[in-house]
Amino acid sequence: MKRFLVLAFIFSIMFTTSCDALSGLTGSSLKIGLVTDVGGLNDKSFNALANTGRLDAAKDFGVQTSVIESKKQEDYVPNLTTFAQQNYDLVIGVGFLMTNSVWKVAKQFPNIKFAIIDGAPADDAGKTENLPNVANLFFKEQEAGYLVGVIAATMAKDKVGKATHNTVCSMGGIPIPPVDHYIAGYQDAVKTISPSTTILNGYSNDFVDQAKGKEIGLNHISKNCDILFQVAGGSGLGYIAAAKEKGVYAIGVDADQIDVAPGVVITSALKRVNKAVYNTVKAVKDKAYKAGDNFFSVANDGIGYGKTDAVVPANAKAAADQALADIKSGKITPKDTVQVKG
Amino acid sequence: MPVISVLVALFIGAIFVLISGHNPIRAYAALILGAFGSPYDISETLVIAVPLTLAGLSVAVAFRTGLFNIGAQGQLLVGALAAGWTGSQFPDLPGILLLPLTLISGVLAGGAYGAIAGWLKAARGVNEVITTIMQNYIVVFVMHWLLQDGPMSAPNALGTPASSPIGAGAILPIIIPNELVPLSRLHAGIVLAVLAVILFWFLLWRTSLGYELRSVGLGARAAAQAGIDPKRRMVLVMAIAGGFAGLAGMIQVSGLFHRVFDGFSSGFGFDAIAVALLGKNSPIGITLAAILFAAFARGGTLMQANAGISSHLVEVIEALVLFVIAAETIVRAIAGRRGTPAEALA
Amino acid sequence: MSIEVLLGAGVLAATLRLATPIALAALGGVITERSGVTNIALEGCMLMGAFFGVFVADRTGSLPLAILGAVVMGVALAALHALASITFRADQIVSGMALNILALGLTSYLDYELYGTTGTPADLPGVPTVDLGFLSGIPVLGAALSHQSAILWLTFLLVLVLQLFLFRTVPGLRLRAVGEHPRAADTVGIDVRRTRYFAVLASGALAALGGVYLSMAVAGSFTDGMTNGRGFIGLAAMIFGRWTPVGALVASLIFGYGDALSVSLQGVSIGDLRIPVQLLSTIPYVLTILAVAGFVGRSRPPAADGLPYESEGH
Repeated sequence: MKRFLVLAFIFSIMFTTSCDALSGLTGSSLKIGLVTDVGGLNDKSFNALANTGRLDAAKDFGVQTSVIESKKQEDYVPNLTTFAQQNYDLVIGVGFLMTNSVWKVAKQFPNIKFAIIDGAPADDAGKTENLPNVANLFFKEQEAGYLVGVIAATMAKDKVGKATHNTVCSMGGIPIPPVDHYIAGYQDAVKTISPSTTILNGYSNDFVDQAKGKEIGLNHISKNCDILFQVAGGSGLGYIAAAKEKGVYAIGVDADQIDVAPGVVITSALKRVNKAVYNTVKAVKDKAYKAGDNFFSVANDGIGYGKTDAVVPANAKAAADQALADIKSGKITPKDTVQVKG
Repeated sequence: MPVISVLVALFIGAIFVLISGHNPIRAYAALILGAFGSPYDISETLVIAVPLTLAGLSVAVAFRTGLFNIGAQGQLLVGALAAGWTGSQFPDLPGILLLPLTLISGVLAGGAYGAIAGWLKAARGVNEVITTIMQNYIVVFVMHWLLQDGPMSAPNALGTPASSPIGAGAILPIIIPNELVPLSRLHAGIVLAVLAVILFWFLLWRTSLGYELRSVGLGARAAAQAGIDPKRRMVLVMAIAGGFAGLAGMIQVSGLFHRVFDGFSSGFGFDAIAVALLGKNSPIGITLAAILFAAFARGGTLMQANAGISSHLVEVIEALVLFVIAAETIVRAIAGRRGTPAEALA
Repeated sequence: MSIEVLLGAGVLAATLRLATPIALAALGGVITERSGVTNIALEGCMLMGAFFGVFVADRTGSLPLAILGAVVMGVALAALHALASITFRADQIVSGMALNILALGLTSYLDYELYGTTGTPADLPGVPTVDLGFLSGIPVLGAALSHQSAILWLTFLLVLVLQLFLFRTVPGLRLRAVGEHPRAADTVGIDVRRTRYFAVLASGALAALGGVYLSMAVAGSFTDGMTNGRGFIGLAAMIFGRWTPVGALVASLIFGYGDALSVSLQGVSIGDLRIPVQLLSTIPYVLTILAVAGFVGRSRPPAADGLPYESEGH
């Protein structure tokens, strides 16, 4: 029996290698490839959002798409190359970890369009070098942090609901720019709107460990914090769990996380990676692809704040909307460096 | 035969693929093509196999001596950090000096990190499993600090925390001309890996030290009868083990990244445990097992890209292959070999 | 820097919370290795427990069924390990590594397929907390012990039960005999294979309980790889505790204390000195090495640990 199975296998593999089922996507429509970073598709964060954008584009534009999840930093170059070698029309790298890898591969395949989320191609010396076939999709996370910071500060100042201690806090995964931008904008808003409010910050040094994130949340709550803003992916869900357990408020990040803990999550800092991916696919389809820097901000709806819980008062929402308008008009430029480190 | 085990496991995996709603034949064709389908794919498979082989040697040399080195991952990262530091600290030195210096610092740093575990065991009786597990975590956080805002962090536009680039002299050259295989990353690290495999064989089977180490592995009593002090050997063995892993880290820096990135090379040291045992701690076996693992890593990519198979399902299939090989070969080998590696948990 | 940061009720409460999943994994390790089987797949069993606890809770809305489901799936994974290592006398470490990869792949796959877009539901039943009134009078510790999860108390109870079982009962003595000298145990009529099967399955159940604690009692949701190596830390705690349940608990508490410190010391400065937040995270690991090197020293595993057994009759 076993031998038969083995033979069956060998024959079936030989059979298929000789037919054409292997070229991946076939047909004449556009081919779009997405390469995630090591966070993977299920990171409940920007990889997941990028994938949403890919699937939406596939549905709306009839393009063919495919995805590869990277397991190690070592994988970025070969994964991008895999799509490039198969003549994909657009290859999207998700995440700032890939700046150098995209540079390498895009130089090698000048006729294939690339896009990179949260970064620009960087050469081997670590210097940015814009390429004619790479679109750099940047987000101003500090603007999103600022918007939710306005809501948090207003609620802390007015002692709304359970936010009675005039203390707000945040937790990042690790102190790297895309994380710290959010926290910087959040703190900037609080300092501007409500200078008397105490600000705490911490890091879980991790993006997957919920237990660790929860302990930092409990620690912050024991120091009187009652509005917790998480910027730590999976670990951040533990931070929200701490708020849920202790009956205080939390703010979500990247995607709209209001449903993660209804009544606990009061709003979310949105970074619409899905929109950036979707628009880039559309641009390629409409022959409007633009290499170089493409900024996503409140100005083009790439950044915003999410649905708000019923507890968020009208004046807080109004203040956030005003801030949104002011950022759009250039009256406010949220800071992007963290002032309260820990 | 392990080959039959692999095929049996793939058959079980095919059932999973079918249940998930995909075509298993298409999936496996993509797996094989992805790993070996073109010169580029083969060269990428080998690029992954290099650190896996070296980390496998690290685990194996400890196993041969009756020690369980779970710390190859940490030793690899320490080696990478040291190599990255040396390579970037003296960027103007000519290659003939800088490359050996970088190599030596990677090997020595990995070796020293490993030796700590050996010393703690010899001097204080601390089980090396505890030390090496803890060391793996410690180096990750130290690396975060060094590269994020510690002394090795270098401002750059790379987005991710990283060290300064190493000097040109510290770079291991690409050995396949890109005119032949465009974008191939196969670097001279593979030559170092082959040399390390030969060294491993020579050390263990052609030197009196190797004889001593293997007799320690066969049991403390046997070693004592042969007049060997197992304690003194523990430090040395763990240093050698750490050295192999440190070399793997150095090669990732000098051959692939040309600097140290925060959080790179995650997981090689853990896969290496399976690689070493699957390869029965023998030089050829480890090399083949490393290539098998690398083929899964590389081929799995195409399984996802072309056949739409979830990368997690690829993991499941990989696990099945490993599991069936373990159960199958051991049944046959059991008569001749009674738990040498597992004894190492002691 | 105040004493609160080092020994306050908050830190001690965090210590207990962080030690619980590790202690459960370590207990699993104790019972399986005492019978002579190394089970490195504890990490995988934890992950199975963490995921299937949430899954069953989602489907049934029942906490008891969720815990049962978690334990059953942890036992199922452990059963594969028992099959490979006892019946097929496979290499126990390779089998364990394989099952860890299997559990990670399977749970991540199912999580993505079932909850990929939405995340696991927010309205899962929680694990109740327990207050033992008579403890509340104890200064500091009383506060630390209040409002702790029922699973934490269950863990304490299991430590006690397993300690008594292993060292004060006949079946426990037999189990240890199988791990120390299977041949001798066999000759006096102990069924070595059955004993080992029991021990391995029990280890899967205990580790899965640790996993379901993480997902249901701590987080209230499942995320990929959320056990984050705690099964391996549990193995270290088992060795640290010299293969005894009480020792494993003490080791887990020491580790948990270090972990709690790495949180409470964030933002604290001693004079001008401020330890980088990344280095604070090394505390539990460094503390564990120091504790073992300073106080525990040499520990001897069961003599037949990791060795397959072949009865004479074969």
